[in-house]
Amino acid sequence: MPPALTTFLDGQQDSSGTLVVIFLRGGADGLNLVVPHGDDGYYRARPNLGIRRENLLELDGFFGLNPLLAPLYPWWQSGQLTLVHGTGSEDETRSHFAAQDFMERGGLAAGGWLGRFLRVRPDAGQSPLTAVAIGPQLPESLRGAPSCAAIQSLDDFGLGDHLPPNFLPQLAALYQTAPGLLAPAAHSALAALQRIDALRQTAAAPASRATYGPDDFSVGLRQVARLIKGQVGLQAATLDLNGWDSHITQASLLASPLQRLAQGLHAFASDLGPATLARTPIVVLTEFGRRVAENSASGTDHGRGSALFILGGGLPHTGKVQANWADLASSPLVGPGDLPVTTNYRDVLAPALRRLAPAIDLRKVFPGHAWAG
Amino acid sequence: MSSSRRGFLQAASAGGAVVGIAGFSALSHVLAPLLDGPSDGLAPFPAPQDPAVDEATHVLNRLSFGPRPNDRAAIQSLGPRAWIEQQLAPESIDDAWTDARLRHFEALDAWPLGELLEYNAKELLDQLTRAKLLRAVHSRRQLHEVMVDFWSDHFNIDPSKGDSKWLKPADDKRVIRAHALGRFRDLVKASALSPAMLWYLDGRVNRRASPQEKPNENYARELLELHTLGVRGGYSQADVMEAARCLSGWTVRAREDSRFAVGRVAFQPDLHDDGPKTLLGATLPAGLGEADLDRLLDLVCQHPATAQHLAHKLCCRFIADDPPLAAVAAVAEAFTASSGDLRQTLRALFATPEFWAARGNKIKRPFHFAVACLRATAARTDAGPALQNYLLRLGHAPFQYPSPDGYPEEAAPWMATLLWRWKFALEFASGYLPGTRCDLPRLERAAGGPAALAAHFLGRQPTPPERQAMTASGQSVALLLASPAFQTF
Repeated sequence: MPPALTTFLDGQQDSSGTLVVIFLRGGADGLNLVVPHGDDGYYRARPNLGIRRENLLELDGFFGLNPLLAPLYPWWQSGQLTLVHGTGSEDETRSHFAAQDFMERGGLAAGGWLGRFLRVRPDAGQSPLTAVAIGPQLPESLRGAPSCAAIQSLDDFGLGDHLPPNFLPQLAALYQTAPGLLAPAAHSALAALQRIDALRQTAAAPASRATYGPDDFSVGLRQVARLIKGQVGLQAATLDLNGWDSHITQASLLASPLQRLAQGLHAFASDLGPATLARTPIVVLTEFGRRVAENSASGTDHGRGSALFILGGGLPHTGKVQANWADLASSPLVGPGDLPVTTNYRDVLAPALRRLAPAIDLRKVFPGHAWAG
Repeated sequence: MSSSRRGFLQAASAGGAVVGIAGFSALSHVLAPLLDGPSDGLAPFPAPQDPAVDEATHVLNRLSFGPRPNDRAAIQSLGPRAWIEQQLAPESIDDAWTDARLRHFEALDAWPLGELLEYNAKELLDQLTRAKLLRAVHSRRQLHEVMVDFWSDHFNIDPSKGDSKWLKPADDKRVIRAHALGRFRDLVKASALSPAMLWYLDGRVNRRASPQEKPNENYARELLELHTLGVRGGYSQADVMEAARCLSGWTVRAREDSRFAVGRVAFQPDLHDDGPKTLLGATLPAGLGEADLDRLLDLVCQHPATAQHLAHKLCCRFIADDPPLAAVAAVAEAFTASSGDLRQTLRALFATPEFWAARGNKIKRPFHFAVACLRATAARTDAGPALQNYLLRLGHAPFQYPSPDGYPEEAAPWMATLLWRWKFALEFASGYLPGTRCDLPRLERAAGGPAALAAHFLGRQPTPPERQAMTASGQSVALLLASPAFQTF
């Protein structure tokens, strides 16, 4: 007989944390999210779009945070926000489709990196609700996950509207005496159902310190927070935030997505509370950054390196934006004038994944990657 | 006899209807569920009478994706052992109705391979998945389908990698399906030179153009570790490297290079490492060129560890997750004695006392579970998005397992799927699963009442707690399909 399965949902907490992955679709302009105000080359390349130092939120004496991201600033100050600049993948197509695909799969590999992470982690497949994607469909990153569902709301979980009142008690009774692994597995599934039911029945009030906006992104984050706080065994969640493809009038075009991103994350992190946030890395990725020089339409075109955020997850904090920065004026830009990718996004993800699953074999998550360090 | 003639006539007319609408796949998806299969007539059928799973039910449980209403009667009139023999010779079983129903998945027969590139990759995956589901639900060559499922995992390819997304349909047809009950050596060779496999495990870039270049070991490693000897098969890292040298120079023409002759597999002598090689205790002289491949495959297929590895995996599928050693030994012996003849190997497995004794001790994987629900109820399905979405939620969508080891066979990794199984059972039995329908009142009449229907689902008489639960549950069919007994086989 195979070894007995320990029930996943026993105890007061899920056995491990939840990885939340937010994809900024369209190629977010890292240079205007996390601004290198200490680099004159930045201001020379962006006479109109450059954000002046006095308007920035000071990060480390060289970089400053876009003022529209102000809700994230306290998280930086308290050491819970990791910022990395000059990140991205090795895909050089500057095509949204190709670059997103590459990043979500982790190169020329089968399945998505998140799907593989969930599949190869040592406790793989033990949670009844392994992963959710908020939205109409699953992202490429979740391909191959042991179990995953694209959901629009919590009602997509649970047994639905066609459940006769006596059904579950009768089913539970049969499973109680079931042989082998079935009884403990049913115990876990029933526990998950009870917790989802409890979530539905409690007024959906987030923690008092959290104020979610009415936009889809915030609504999605709020659902994820409820699932995490409800301890239903969620190991990963993905959300998309669109609207970053700022070829024209970037300043006004990006105002709304920047505010939604910062307000959403601020509400979400506040809602989770410090203990839960410390085991919930929230990773913010984008397929590529934008050209260093602004274009004639006050916008920026497809580039290479961008900025990446990790909020929470209990990662060590240095007080510095992580970057291998060479000044923009004299250092060689890549392609038509783009910030080079100096830190591969996989190397940024690695510490967060290791904290969630210390025994993980990352070579199976990102096959073929030559790890930095 | 008369029923098979009636089946043939129905198949002919159904085939005509399908051919008539070929090309209008949106329309055919609407019509296809309306075309009844030859065995879907729901004539009265006998339900099991025994308190324990009888031989006929056991054989159906293990060699098929679950009993349809009329299957048990058919197997009993023929005798379980004769039925097994029939299943071991799928070419002798008329499956025209299934074939006709699949005819509008025209991409799956595309030839030359370049034709596949005319399709959207998502459409190809959809056609592959639908065809697999429909065959599992309807094909009368059930053991063949079960073995196709087995080899699809054994030689797993996730088509999301590179050109595999266009080439996997050809692998399914020309490698897995063509050799599922043939000779293992032929299966391995077909897989080694399958365009999709050359993409998936990087064989296409295994080359040695200069003395400094190291071969790409990816495929060679999986060939030894997964496909043949097994991870404890006694080979060394040096053997993997030597195997990779044997395979260097084989490649497949890529889509990005040219659309002409895409997917064509070729041996490039100048990229082959033609020096002498030593592996698994044998020596291959220099200068064999492409013949290195056959020498390598002879070595690995004839290796005793391969017989042991395959016997163990087959016994896991057909007997128990932790199979009895005596059965594994008997199957390995048959594999060796028959030089890897898969029919002889399976025949030996089905003759072991362990096969007959181990009943209801296995857990259905989610695909098996969902298909068994449809078969047990004689449901009609379009195998479309709603059903496929459930397989995704259950973590068992066909052709979507990312790593080369394939979906696991043993129960433990699947134990977190109960919640979605229960939801599936409820939604399906209540008639709310889009694209899939069953006529439960008619099925119950054909079975001869609710108790008999319960016995049909469980493969034995329901226990008193099961009777009590189905009555009290408010949805007895969903309860039975969700029950612990229906998860086992």
